[in-house]
Amino acid sequence: MRTSSADLPSPSTATAPPVTVPGEAGGAEIRGLVVVFGTPDGEMAAVNGVDLDLPLGTITGLVGESGSGKSTLALAMMNAVPKPGRIAAGSIRLPSVKDMTQLRGKALRLARGSALGYVFQASQNSLNPLKRIGAQLLDLGRAHGMEDKGVLLARARELCERMGLDPVRTLSAYQHELSGGMRQRVGIVFALILNPRVLVLDEPTTALDMISQRTVLDIVRDVHRDRHLATLIITHDIAIVADLADYLAVMYGGRVVEKGPTRHVLQSAAHPYTRGLIAAIPRISGDIEKARPLVGRPPDLLSIPRQGCVFRERCPLTIGRCSLEEPALVPVVKEPGGIFGESGDGAPGGHAAACHVTAPAGGDRSRS
Amino acid sequence: MTAEGAPGRWRRLGHRLGVRLLTGVVMVLAVATLTFFLVHAMPGNPIQTEYQTLIARGVTPSVAAQQVAGMYGFVSNRPLLDQYGQYMWHLIQFNLGKSISASGEPVVHLVLSAAPWTVIPVLSGLVVSFLLGVSLGVVAAVRRTNRLGKVLSVSGSLFHGVPQFVWAVMLAYIFTTLLPIFPFGSPYNILDTPGLNGPFILSLVYSAVLPVLAYALSSYGGWLLTMRSSVVSVLGDDFVLAAELRGLRPLTQLRYVARNAFLPLFTILLLSVGFMFGGAIFIEEVFDYPGLGYQLVNAVNARDYPLMSGDFLFITVAVIALNILADFLYTFIDPRVRRAA
Amino acid sequence: MAVTVIGPGLGTEGGPRRARPAGRWQAARQALLREARRVVGAVIVVAFVVMAIVGPFLYPRHLGANANAVYAPPSLAHPLGTDFEGTDVLALLVVGARYVLVSAAVAGAIAVGLGALIGLVAGYLAGAVDWSLSRITDFALTIPQYPLLVVLAAVARFTSPLLIGVLLGVTSWAGLARAVRSQAFSLRERPYIEASRSLGLSTSHVIVKEMLPNIAPYVAMNLLVSMIGAIYLETGLFFLGVLPTNVSNWGVMLNLAVFSAGAIGSAQAVSYLLTPLIAILLLTLGIVFVLDAVDEFFNPRLRG
Repeated sequence: MRTSSADLPSPSTATAPPVTVPGEAGGAEIRGLVVVFGTPDGEMAAVNGVDLDLPLGTITGLVGESGSGKSTLALAMMNAVPKPGRIAAGSIRLPSVKDMTQLRGKALRLARGSALGYVFQASQNSLNPLKRIGAQLLDLGRAHGMEDKGVLLARARELCERMGLDPVRTLSAYQHELSGGMRQRVGIVFALILNPRVLVLDEPTTALDMISQRTVLDIVRDVHRDRHLATLIITHDIAIVADLADYLAVMYGGRVVEKGPTRHVLQSAAHPYTRGLIAAIPRISGDIEKARPLVGRPPDLLSIPRQGCVFRERCPLTIGRCSLEEPALVPVVKEPGGIFGESGDGAPGGHAAACHVTAPAGGDRSRS
Repeated sequence: MTAEGAPGRWRRLGHRLGVRLLTGVVMVLAVATLTFFLVHAMPGNPIQTEYQTLIARGVTPSVAAQQVAGMYGFVSNRPLLDQYGQYMWHLIQFNLGKSISASGEPVVHLVLSAAPWTVIPVLSGLVVSFLLGVSLGVVAAVRRTNRLGKVLSVSGSLFHGVPQFVWAVMLAYIFTTLLPIFPFGSPYNILDTPGLNGPFILSLVYSAVLPVLAYALSSYGGWLLTMRSSVVSVLGDDFVLAAELRGLRPLTQLRYVARNAFLPLFTILLLSVGFMFGGAIFIEEVFDYPGLGYQLVNAVNARDYPLMSGDFLFITVAVIALNILADFLYTFIDPRVRRAA
Repeated sequence: MAVTVIGPGLGTEGGPRRARPAGRWQAARQALLREARRVVGAVIVVAFVVMAIVGPFLYPRHLGANANAVYAPPSLAHPLGTDFEGTDVLALLVVGARYVLVSAAVAGAIAVGLGALIGLVAGYLAGAVDWSLSRITDFALTIPQYPLLVVLAAVARFTSPLLIGVLLGVTSWAGLARAVRSQAFSLRERPYIEASRSLGLSTSHVIVKEMLPNIAPYVAMNLLVSMIGAIYLETGLFFLGVLPTNVSNWGVMLNLAVFSAGAIGSAQAVSYLLTPLIAILLLTLGIVFVLDAVDEFFNPRLRG
């Protein structure tokens, strides 16, 4: 298990200090999360020792290819890992819930939706096709003990307006009568109607055209500000979150391999995988030839290396140590005169990466 | 939230219904044509035989032709196309000719009096098996990974696999011969006077137990398997996971699933009501229920071709009509069809 | 004993599968031996097939009657007892097997052949051809099959198992045609089919050589399903007595037992009455178990 956030950085390479300061503004706090799936070859970790903080008022972007464990992480936040998977270790603290992973039964049901709003990857189809939107909102409210129809409807209308939807028409519509972008916004209404402080959006724009994507992301930013939420946007496309997220976390093979303030990560990515992701973004103004796709395929549950760095098979910088020892997530040290200075002290917004080559743990640690 | 208002919707519905009705009429005409030519293809040309019989009895040719025409709805010594036209013309006036075996009784009367004997037991059996199969199908789907679900699925497959006549014969043999609990051989106690009196109705119900059970057992498995696979497929839909992750009540979740899973079964149910007119032949035969299937088989065996074609036509028209009704009603229970642009 | 094949068996790979014959035999054997009930099913089916081939040679052309042994209980001389005129029930069963299996095989082959052909042509050619074939299919699906068969049987009065098979086959193809049509629709969008089309290969070539192999597993499964259906249909028709009862098969046995000989009202006639019923159920069960093995053979992804 990873050390808790209060511990001092330890010299061990197997564990690493979390980078953000504990307790800040009381958002969501994921500690040492391990999610395993039962396979014929034994249990395999889809999420392996992830620490992540989602402070209130901050948008965090979680980036990774399919199979990186990012969606499993999101489901784990709802304590809804599908069988044959389970949360094997770790804790998830939400503003109103001490540890989501410990909840069962009715307490878990009530926490879902009211402690954490979730916008689904397939939000296009996240509604009962046979029931009007408004009636389903009422079902949701009733399920969480809000018997007052009037209050609920008023809140729904207000949220719809916030989303740029005509409240009367939207609430009396069926899912199939709405466009993709409208459905995604209705998905956000469902996620926010119970006033959660934490909002998780799983691939919120994947199925949308460019213009709807922009609209949806603008709306997310606005409601996030209005409501002072802790927002997590999960995406495979780093470009989507580049100008929206305050923080970025990059996942690969079930691990967070790099995280930090968006600007830092984008300008001076330390992990070769993050660099690859950034290089793969086609730029409108640039030469399309310059966008280089990542070579190789991401590992699946069965092909994640059990020893050493999970990325080494696709890594251009791999060295001998990579296949023997798993790199820890350690603060990225800037060369002297860099704008950030040393961040080995776990300062807020610290930029950290897990790579033997670009963020060597042992060598830097001795200097700090 | 479509752009057009209610009138447009109704116009579209009307149009849809019109098209379906037209297709139905074409189908009925096609079946009638098929029946006409089938009767003509009957071995030994029944119409000529009937005509010759009458002549042999000393009836004048014109009277004989008239009588044969009364039975079959067409005169056999005219050109085929003429006969066909005459047959169809009578058909449009609901004149299906006269029965041979029931001494000149109009076929329409015979068919209509047989229909209740088919409808009552089969409809009861359908209702019983449907309610049982559908509710157990939900259980089988929800609990599909544990023992209960597997036992239910296997029971569904077993029951579904046994043909109807096997059920009928087995039940009749076990419960009327080996363990004589139920009466056999008549749809009611012949000692009771038919009518709205207690003993008659009681004997009616008592005699109906085995036929209803036979029908229910033979169709229970199909309902269970269909509902199970429908529920399993709906359970895989995104909105079901979404409902769970939004923390909806378990009962609400179940309602969402059940209603969506039920949709495809609704159409099948109405079609089964249509097929039931012809689908109970074995049960009627084994339990001596004078329904449509029984009448059809007897007509075939007695070479009563007007009655045979009348029964066949009636059974087929019922299926076609229920088909149209199912299609039309479906637009009311599925908003996606109702308001589709 | 499900008599429905759920879901189309389209492979995910781009082109038709080709495997070496030796590997196929081994895969078939593996699929069969994986579960005990499949072996049981195969044994049952083989036993009935042997019965059908050899059976009629074991007994004289006219099975003897014996007025002294009417409804005799099972004994050494008559393992399954005797019928209403003292004829050995086992002999009736064995002799009747050939009739039942031959007509079921013919009916299955015709139903599946017609269904696959009509479905493929409609799905591949689309347009007006598809429209007309689909209307015909709808029509065939709408007419209730048993009443139609009763009427057709009265017209035809066939006695030969081959002709009965034809009768059943031509009234049973529509369901498969509809399923194959929708598969053919998705197949024709596949790159290699589009390529064949744009290369100007003939329609019959594309349908037979390119598309048929893809739906072959589905069709093979449906052959067995159709055979089960045909067994039910033919025994049912003979049972109703709308076909001539002067032949030997299980349906005729049932018909005589229930309607003529009054066996259904006689507690002594247990074995006579139950023998054809159990034979029908056993054969169906055997085919269903074999179907399970065939399913795995063609869709190995189900393993595990």
